[in-house]
Amino acid sequence: MAYQDFRDFLNTLEKEGQLLKVEEQVNLEPDISAATRALNNLGDKSPALLFNNINGYEKDQARIAMNVIGSWPNHALMMGMPKNTPLKEQFFEFAHRYDQFPMPVQREETAPFHEVELTENINLFELLPLFRLNQGDGGFYIDKACVISRDQDDPEHFGKQNVGIYRLQVKGKDRLGIQPVPQHDIAVHLRQAEERGQNLPVVIALGCEPVITTAAATPLKYDQSEYEMAGAIQGQPYRIVKAKDADLDIPWGAEVVLEGEILCGEREFEGPFGEFTGHYSGGRSMPVIQINRVYHRQNPIFEHLYIGMPWTETDYMIGVNTSVPLYQQLKEAFPNEVVAVNAMYTHGLVAIISTKRRYGGFAKAVGMRALTTPHGLGYCKVVIVVDEDVDPFNLPQVMWAISTKLHPKHDAVIIPDLSVLPLDPGSDPAGITHKMILDATTPLAPEQRGHYSQPLDSPPGVDQWEKKIINLLNRQQS
Amino acid sequence: MNICPRCGSQHTEQVAASPVAGVWTVHMCSTCIFTWRSTEPEHITNPDKYLPAFKVDQADIPKAAHVPPIPARRV
Repeated sequence: MAYQDFRDFLNTLEKEGQLLKVEEQVNLEPDISAATRALNNLGDKSPALLFNNINGYEKDQARIAMNVIGSWPNHALMMGMPKNTPLKEQFFEFAHRYDQFPMPVQREETAPFHEVELTENINLFELLPLFRLNQGDGGFYIDKACVISRDQDDPEHFGKQNVGIYRLQVKGKDRLGIQPVPQHDIAVHLRQAEERGQNLPVVIALGCEPVITTAAATPLKYDQSEYEMAGAIQGQPYRIVKAKDADLDIPWGAEVVLEGEILCGEREFEGPFGEFTGHYSGGRSMPVIQINRVYHRQNPIFEHLYIGMPWTETDYMIGVNTSVPLYQQLKEAFPNEVVAVNAMYTHGLVAIISTKRRYGGFAKAVGMRALTTPHGLGYCKVVIVVDEDVDPFNLPQVMWAISTKLHPKHDAVIIPDLSVLPLDPGSDPAGITHKMILDATTPLAPEQRGHYSQPLDSPPGVDQWEKKIINLLNRQQS
Repeated sequence: MNICPRCGSQHTEQVAASPVAGVWTVHMCSTCIFTWRSTEPEHITNPDKYLPAFKVDQADIPKAAHVPPIPARRV
């Protein structure tokens, strides 16, 4: 089912009625952000947008794709599933494929992006139809590109090569700013290079098919390869091709590729930028990338991502793939108990865990374990733990559990001064916060409190009826 | 377009022009690295009307926190 490249996925979206082509002429500001924000306001089934008539360019001279996996149908299509697949099914299918990791990669010698190559007179402002996303942004950003770098102490380790998505401010004709949050893998690579007094080689791939973008946005363990995870998710080896200036691997299907290096010891004013927290980050001094080589397909499509007050494409892109690693890492500790994890709220700053319990106090231990997972170190500010029969993706059920099972005196646990990503606007100082576990599970011996001996159950046959009704509704709609 | 709307610096340059001539130009400030397009509204392009909450004082730029900090060199 693997998509060959970005255009292959756009074709599938079009065939499935999940791509809206905007033919009228638009301005780069504010039309493209405004249209995408409006689309996100319309609900969780929205299509991608493709603009091909942009003021200042001849028609079709510049094309911009937005919201490519910004809805649950598009997320399902990314995995090759029917577009109406319920979210919880997408979660368990993603978890199943995650278990197939690692899938070996397929190496190629050439790629479509080799069609055009530039090493002189690079001007990113002319090569890409860049634009401002939000009014307070300090400039034009690239915020959905795969950034690839290697571990400098163990460069032969394929798994320690990192593919991640970081915000990139275009700061000159051949210069980018980058935000390597300390919790992210590229910050490790940069520290290693700067300790040696060396630049860190990087490759930036724009307009990739959506599986590598999803893997790049997944909080994998440090030595797990995003390429081998992308292969596991798509069920076929992932295709990569070597960079020319450094030993780095590039997604074969990218539209545009930039090769360069993060300059050792250099920090420059960056931002602000409207972030996934629904707030602007302040202006800070961040590393700078010098771009030395550009390749692109003929007439490339520029893929961009609107980010702002949740929910936007970001939240769909990092919803299931944040929940599944937390689920798998919790299952390593509690394989027979943990049922499902929903960490879809602001990249998992709030996480909901559904679990069986062995004895009183067990649910709090599961919550504590979530805080010490790799992702939990930077997120999981509030962890809600619910019983195994509460669906963590069903917020009315979660609210019911908090309403009826939680006793604030016993079940609200606050742990002071833990780490969190500095972008959390509530952290003080930035990067430090108290965290809370809310145990909304039923008390179990030796805990005896409350009156929970007569819970209501459902009439027999509800599960079968649920499937039957979904089928009937689908038939009625098609 | 010669004065940065955000920090007031006079160190600005035009970095791009629309492929269809005369539609827009893009400018950048080398002091606070602000970038803007000539066709954006005045609260983005005009130094007197720029969004007050997002104005930058040039004196604050060297004080901005390093993210991430620059590590010591390995000996």
